[in-house]
This record gives sequence, structure tokens and C-alpha cells, in this order.
Amino acid sequence: MEKQLYGLMAEFDTATELVDAARSTRDAGYKRTDAFSPFPIHEIDEALGIKRSILPVLVFFGGITGLLSGVSLQVFVHYIDYPLNIGGRPYLSWLSFVPPSFELTILLAGFTAVFGMLFLNGLPRPYHPVFNVPRFSLATREKFFLLIEAADEKYNYDETKAFLDSLKPQEVFDVEE
Amino acid sequence: MAENYQAPAELAKYRNIALGIGGIGVIVWAAGTYFNVEQGLRSWLLGFIFWGGITIGGIGITMLQYLTGGAWGVVIRRFVEAASRVLPVVFIMWLVLAWGTYSHNLYEWSHLPPDDFTMIQRGAYQTPIWWIIRGIIYFVLFGVMVYLLNDWSAKQDRSADHEEAAKWLGKATAFSGPTMVIYVIAITLATVDWVMSLDPHWFSTIWGLLFVAGWALSTFCFSILMFALLGGKKPMDHVLGKRHFHDIGKLILALVMVWAYFNFSQLLIIYSGNIPEETGWYLTRMTTGWFTVGMILVLFHFAFPYLFLLKQDWKKNIKMLASISLFILFMRLVDMFFLISPNPRIATHGESLILSESFSWLDIAGPVAIGGIWLWYYFGQLMKRPLVPVMDPFLEKAIEHGHGH
Repeated sequence: MEKQLYGLMAEFDTATELVDAARSTRDAGYKRTDAFSPFPIHEIDEALGIKRSILPVLVFFGGITGLLSGVSLQVFVHYIDYPLNIGGRPYLSWLSFVPPSFELTILLAGFTAVFGMLFLNGLPRPYHPVFNVPRFSLATREKFFLLIEAADEKYNYDETKAFLDSLKPQEVFDVEE
Repeated sequence: MAENYQAPAELAKYRNIALGIGGIGVIVWAAGTYFNVEQGLRSWLLGFIFWGGITIGGIGITMLQYLTGGAWGVVIRRFVEAASRVLPVVFIMWLVLAWGTYSHNLYEWSHLPPDDFTMIQRGAYQTPIWWIIRGIIYFVLFGVMVYLLNDWSAKQDRSADHEEAAKWLGKATAFSGPTMVIYVIAITLATVDWVMSLDPHWFSTIWGLLFVAGWALSTFCFSILMFALLGGKKPMDHVLGKRHFHDIGKLILALVMVWAYFNFSQLLIIYSGNIPEETGWYLTRMTTGWFTVGMILVLFHFAFPYLFLLKQDWKKNIKMLASISLFILFMRLVDMFFLISPNPRIATHGESLILSESFSWLDIAGPVAIGGIWLWYYFGQLMKRPLVPVMDPFLEKAIEHGHGH
């Protein structure tokens, strides 16, 4: 009776081994992979073939939305809906509109950055199957882990396990769903 | 150190070209100035503020990179140090202005009647002799900074081991923190004397910061051009990489924003205050042809470089980054022209000229003359020392093809 698996995970001793293993995994054609380490490793994005995030583009358009809403709000209030003579200045004193528009640009860009990051990361996520592997807690201390998800097109329990074994890890774990 | 980090010998060739251009520029400028002394001195001031700004900005960035740390600081250090060591040349350029001030040919305030309210209030402060004395004090302050920072840097190069080198690094870092405060105050006072007093009846409290940010921007852009010039050759091809360009590109983007922020703060406060004694400066610059120059600055000193530099790939690409740096440097010159040229003139008894009357071919000759001589001295200074701080404890980590990562 085969258990329902989330994927297979290999444990490594050093960052270099993890990066090498990640490269081999990418070259072998696996796409739904992930790596876990106690500290950031710069090369790992490239090694796993992780694409650049779309987040900067979202932030840019968040900022544009903030800018436009700031400008249109003030133009509507001061020029269209309720023109008020302030110190004899023109109703359309666009110089004075800059600070609030700027603030709204920053605000919406900031919100997009934070919530977009959470959304793209799939957070908040109270449960994740990788924690079913008891040794995984070492990923925050001294060990390095490489995961291949069962959802990957190339995934096949025996072949993938053999492949991970060929990378010479410390151990390969079944990650239960 | 096994590696040879000496500057490539081609620099000597650039040096001669720069000297040639500078020499011709000085002769042309002097000939033009003979017929129009006030315009000649004003154009000289334009060149002095532009090129002197890269030197004084070089002092600031030398201190800044000690304070922040980071790989970009290690690879840019020798380039900004060399820029700061052009100070003696900048001082000689300043002597021309000192003569102009002393002979009452540069500043309109030297012709104001003694019962002018501003002149009474300012008393001896606004006299040629005190203008010169203060100028010498600024140069002494900057000179001490240049001397000490470069001296410690040279001693670091000669250190026997990394431990000794780290000692000099610590010394320079400890010096940079408090000195940064003196540096900004000195720039504020100096630029009030040199540029703001061209219009004796106008004042702005953010004035000095416009130059602190603007000059830092100039120095970064200039250093990027030097990276582009030397990046493909030994030894810098071994040192420079995308991450350095990315970091400095981000700093240029930040400074483009800071420049716009300071300028807009000044404008908004004066616009909101709407007081006659403050609005005159902007009134001149928002009417006639000057408004066009102002809009060019908003669009091409801020908006275009800002949007351009948002793109990560272009910041990491030295060709793209060098192109925008050259563009920004040109806009820096336009910005200085916008600050200097519309001010009241002696020849018109305190009236400003409209753009078409104000622009003179001397405004090109002055900056070219100073620029040629400045670059000639700069390349000489750059060749004197290795292009990276060879004994710096962080060098291995900072260079692109080092053993650390």
C-alpha cells in the first residue's frame, strides 16, 4: 500500500553540495523543486532555475495607481466639486498636489509590495508537508535540503528516488502529504 | 599581492588629449573674457562648480563608502580618491573667481549701494575680502580631509598584513563619521558664497543640500564613466562585475530622486509662502525661456533617468548605465547653468537677462577649459596608485573574480 506523498527530499551537509545538486536537478528536467538552507545562498535561484519574480512590475503599477488616484482626487475636490480660493492661488495649483500624490504613490506601491509578496509566496500558510520530516527542523540550523514535489511532470517515485540517491545526499526522505 | 592593479598605460594618452583640449579651452576662454569680463567669470564659475563638484563630491563618497561598507565602495574607492586629489587644481580655478570677486567683476552685491537693506544686515560678511577669507577656510577644510583620507589609504596599501591594513581602515572610518557633518556644513556655506550670493536678495535654507546631493550624483556618474572606460581592460576587467554596477546604479537612482526631492521642497515652500522677497528667484526662472530650461530639468534630470534606472537589467549593464550617467552629467551642467546664469548681472545694474541673451559661447568654453585641465590632473592621480585598495581586508570578497564569494 503506497502512501500519498507530497514529494521527496534530500539532505545535504554543505551549501556547495546543495547548489551542485540543485543544478543537476534542474538539468535533469525537474521543475517543481525547492531548496531550504539556514542562510541565503545567492546562487540558488540560478541553480534551481527560478525565474525572476513578477513583483517589481506589480509594484510599478501599484505606484501608478496611487499616483493617478492622488491626482484625480485632488483635481476633483479642488477644481471640480468644491473650488475654494486659498490665498489667491489658482484652483489647479498642481504644485501643492504633489506631496499627497507622492504619498499615495508610495502607499499603494508599498502595499502592493507587501501583499503581493505574501500572495506570490502563497502566504499565510499554516501547514506545509515538509515539516512531516522530523529532521527538516535542522534546515534552520546546519543542514541543507532539496525537495522534488510529486506534482512534477517528471516525478516517478522509484526513478526520482534513484536520481536523488545519485546526488550523494546524507539521506533521502519521503515527504508525506 | 600577486595581482598587478596598476592603471593601464593608455591613460597617459587620454591625459595628453585632455591637456590639449583644456589648454585650447583656456586660451579661447581668456580671449572671450578679455572682451566681456563678467560673462567670462560667470562661465568660469559654471565650470568651476561643475568640475569642482566632482572633486568635492569625491571627498564625500570616499567618506560615505567607509561608513557604509560594501563591495561597491571597495571598487570605487580609488576612483573617487583620485577625484578628491584634484583639489589643488580646483583651488587654482577658484583663484580666478577670487580675483573676479576682489575686482568687483563677478558678484552683483559688490555694486549694491551701502544703504541697501540686505548689505547693511550682512555687514562685513558680504564683502570681497571676507568672501576670499572664507573661501580659503573651505579649501583648508577640504584639503585636510583629502590629505588625511588619501594618506591613510596609501599607508593601508603599504601595510605588511591584513591586520595592519584593517587598522588604517578603522581609522579612516572613525574619521569619516564626524567629518561628514563638517563636510556638509562647509558645502552649505561655500555654495551660499559661491552661487547663491549671485542673487544677493534671495535665500534658501536647503541650498547647500542641493549641492551635496547634486555633487555626489555627479561623482557617481563620472566614476561610472571611468568604469566604462577601464572596465574592459586589465586590471579592472578582473575586478568589476554586474553587482557593482547594480549597486552604484541604485545609488544614482536614489540621488536622482534626492535631487528632485530637495529642489521640489525648495519650490513648494516658496510657492506656498508666496512672499515677495522669496518668489523673485523663481519668477525669473518660470517666465520667458528659463521656464523651458526648468521643464527640461524636471523631465531629463529627474523623470527620464528615474524611469530608466528603475529597470534592473539596465543598471547591471555597464553600457546602459554609462549612457545614462553621461546623460545625467550633461543635465548636471544644465542644472548649474539654470542656477547660475539667470541671476542679476552687474552690466544690467541688477537685472536678469532672458535666456537667449543670457547664453553665451563662453558658457561652453569655461567648462571645457576647466574640464580639460581637471581631467588631465585626474588621470595623472589615477595612475599614481593601484586601481583597487590592494591590502584592504574586504578586497577578496569585493572583486568579481576573487576567491571569496
